[in-house]
Amino acid sequence: MKTVKLSVLVSALFLLFGLNANAQDANTILKKMDDVMYSAKDMTAKVEIVLIDKSGKEKTREALISQKGTKERIFRFTAPASQAGIAVLSLPKDVMYLYMPAFGKERRISSSVKSQGFAGTDFTYDDMESKPYTEKYTPKLLPAEKDVYVLELKPLSPRSQYSKLILKVNKSEFYPTYMEYYDKGNHKLKESTYHFVRIGKYWNAQEIEMKNLKKNHITKMIMSDVKYDQGLTDNDFTVRKLKE
Amino acid sequence: MTMKRLAKLIIKLKWPIIIIVLALTTFFGLQLKNLKIDADVINSLPDDDSTAVLYTNIGNKYGGNTMGMVIVQAKNVFNTKVLEDVRQITDTVTFVKGISTVTSLTDVIDIKNVDGGIEIGKLIDEYDIPKTEQQLDSLKAYTLSKDMYKGSIVSADGTSTLVIFTLLDNANKEEVAKTIKEKITKLKLPEKISFGGIPMMMDDVSSLMLLDLRNLIPLTFIVILLILLISFRSARGTILPLTTASISIVWTLGLMQLLGYKLNLVSINMPVILLAVGSAYTIHVLNRINEEKGKNRKKALIKAVAYITIPVFLSGITTVFGFMSFIFGAYLTMIRNFGLFTSIGVAFALLLSVVFVPAVISAFSMVKSQKSLQQQKKSEDTLMGKLFLIPFSNLIIKHPKYITVAWVALIVLSIWGMFNIKTSVNMTNYFRKNNPVRVTEDIMQKEFGGSLPVFVVFKGDMQSPEVLKKMIQTEDYMKKSPDVSSTQSVADLIEQMNDVMGEGKIIPNDKAKIENLWFLLDGQDVMPQLVTNDLREGIIQARFASADSKDMEDFVKYMNKYIKTNSTKNCQIELTGMPSVYVKLNSSLIRSQFSSLTLAIILVVLAVALLLRSFSKGIYAAIPILTTIIILFGFMGFAGIALDIATVLVASVALGMGIDYSIHIITHFSHEFDELKDVNLAIKDSIMVSGKAIIINVVSVSAGFLVLMFSHIVPIQNFGLLVAMSMVGAGVGSLTLLPVILILHYRRKENVNKYIN
Repeated sequence: MKTVKLSVLVSALFLLFGLNANAQDANTILKKMDDVMYSAKDMTAKVEIVLIDKSGKEKTREALISQKGTKERIFRFTAPASQAGIAVLSLPKDVMYLYMPAFGKERRISSSVKSQGFAGTDFTYDDMESKPYTEKYTPKLLPAEKDVYVLELKPLSPRSQYSKLILKVNKSEFYPTYMEYYDKGNHKLKESTYHFVRIGKYWNAQEIEMKNLKKNHITKMIMSDVKYDQGLTDNDFTVRKLKE
Repeated sequence: MTMKRLAKLIIKLKWPIIIIVLALTTFFGLQLKNLKIDADVINSLPDDDSTAVLYTNIGNKYGGNTMGMVIVQAKNVFNTKVLEDVRQITDTVTFVKGISTVTSLTDVIDIKNVDGGIEIGKLIDEYDIPKTEQQLDSLKAYTLSKDMYKGSIVSADGTSTLVIFTLLDNANKEEVAKTIKEKITKLKLPEKISFGGIPMMMDDVSSLMLLDLRNLIPLTFIVILLILLISFRSARGTILPLTTASISIVWTLGLMQLLGYKLNLVSINMPVILLAVGSAYTIHVLNRINEEKGKNRKKALIKAVAYITIPVFLSGITTVFGFMSFIFGAYLTMIRNFGLFTSIGVAFALLLSVVFVPAVISAFSMVKSQKSLQQQKKSEDTLMGKLFLIPFSNLIIKHPKYITVAWVALIVLSIWGMFNIKTSVNMTNYFRKNNPVRVTEDIMQKEFGGSLPVFVVFKGDMQSPEVLKKMIQTEDYMKKSPDVSSTQSVADLIEQMNDVMGEGKIIPNDKAKIENLWFLLDGQDVMPQLVTNDLREGIIQARFASADSKDMEDFVKYMNKYIKTNSTKNCQIELTGMPSVYVKLNSSLIRSQFSSLTLAIILVVLAVALLLRSFSKGIYAAIPILTTIIILFGFMGFAGIALDIATVLVASVALGMGIDYSIHIITHFSHEFDELKDVNLAIKDSIMVSGKAIIINVVSVSAGFLVLMFSHIVPIQNFGLLVAMSMVGAGVGSLTLLPVILILHYRRKENVNKYIN
């Protein structure tokens, strides 16, 4: 009897050890995810933003997005008519400009609004930022699930509006599938789900759904007409371009 | 004779009756621990009331109409440590379950122009609170320069600030208030912290009500016990009345809980009322049993029960009618429920006194022996008789006209006083002057323009210049009222944004510009509090500074005048908020008083007329108590006691209970007059015999109600005082005014008869 018990224990230990050996280090996983998400040089796409309120009513907006690297981006709204022409330019070092066509004027948007919702969505300016996750969070590995690694991310900056994120990353392709956002009271504030598709050599987040649990409000961002690496330059991301 | 058969049946079934009563008492008693208290005044308006509907809608659409606040007082609010604490309070409140929105110095939208850039963010970055003196000074100067903050979220002198929160519609207001108080008290902050607003007051009222329940019921019990002991000098005469009253209280409260009703500010009076009223029926039954002589104790008991059932029932029925008048006559749900359950409670007490009391007496052989009966003195020999009743009846018989003149003078004076009656439904007035709640409300009124939310609803295209300009115009008009100091709406935000875009602090004429500005406001925390998602409706939020009913009424009138001329098809305007609710409650209160009292008078006069088989006697019987009610209103006018949610009950309650005294006198008088054929003797006899019973009853009932003066809640204090006064009035009236009326009436008859003869 004793020997049987011992053998079970030994094999269990081996099993654990074996799993550990195969497991990815948390930092590596997060780094790989950043690579999958931010490897294209540039991208243009059409974005449909669907806002769903707590009673289930939907509102739709459309925008054209162009992005270079992770630091430069223009969001230009095309629909509804009341917002057509409004554009947001994001530049490095948290510099942001807003263009209002009815005024024919642009205004710089202050950086202290980062925890504010972007254009009525459930994404904050912070969430919209394309800054690599490895630069914003320290990851910790949690027990993995069937197809995904599970990471707990703690923000590096004390000024983050979140206390932690729980992130699920596809085991084979390293794109995110699901994220939970916890507020400073450690209450689950939001959750997002991702649907990635392969376009050319990149993985594209074709649909992201962000749900604000406190407000019971949902935002869906659906991307189409995605084009990668078209040779956009810094000149495409200037205030002058914003006004065009 | 059916009554005798009923009495025999009761004696026969004594054990089953006792067991059933005990079982029911246990059953209802077990319900009591779940009985909840509801201190929400809005709930007293019926669900379909237009004011209540509009107010509730605001709650549904804009994230809560119920507003509470935490007041933080310090030497200077613009201090890193104080701001940290404000942030901590803000965070604490935000995470309480049931909270919809929180606004404070560290969590309030700010639109400003920074180096030609636009910044829409928070006034203070909660993650980067200013540290240097210079930063803090400039923050103070900036904050106090903006109308949006000064006097609204920070006092003009910068020594106090508010953390304002609204509650989710389905939140348990008292629960939320309690949690917030507990959590913030636990933080042990050095600043002076106080709590204001309706949810906080509701929590306070609830605890005071509980405290009252715990203190006042035993106290009433003891007072009535002492009085009974002194009057009857027997254990039976003391224990049985209190037991039946207590059982009826347990049954009634248990039934309330079982049917899903909560105790409210009005029904909380019920136990004391039942204790005072309910014990009276048992006293009648016991008196009768005592009087019934005969060797066979069982037969005597049956005879007594058979005799007393109908008179006790009739005396009870007028009281029940008094309370029932609220079910049909009152507009406010709170009062209707009170009427319903108090009449049920009185009915229980009645039933117990004629069924349970004889059963107990028979089961435990408690019939008094002949000997002790003989010891009872005749009324004439008692101290009360010698000192009071004899001189009294002589006076009445000798000078009936003087007495009439005295009463008439009192009535005239009272009618004059009636014109000074004020009404009050404001929760603040529930608290005694030195209660912290009153103190907090004073701060709110002085520094922050009050705590009562006001909403002006606009229906139309919220992005149209027309509607937004109308909102600004309305806000300017509102601020001209003495009790509105600051207002907030989406139009203010659009004006500020337009200013930052360099086009002046005005609403743009171009809708496209408004739509552009809106883009940045979209998704701001404050937006759902100001406009609906479909942009078809928006509100102006303001606070009202006065707690005075007259001020509220003036304001509602002032606003309605404006709305009438300015509301258009494209921009419909409506007013709601606590002042509107209070004004509605106020008018309902007067309406409730009028219709329930009218109904009570009709029911009671009819019942008495039927009982005495004479309509004129019904009217005579009502005169002392009606006079008392007029005097009561006059007193309220002179003493400055307002008609409120509790004092509105007094007149009908007094009518139902006070008429009994007249019934005793008239019944006795008719009986004696038929026998003696002499008005004076009949009157004297009536006063001597019934007078004693009436005086004992007046003293015990008034004392029971006077206990309510120890209540922590002002309307209940006044209620106790006024009912006690009315009982004394009704008693004195039935012993002076009524005999005088009878004397004058019968003397005239005698004279007419003499003349004819």
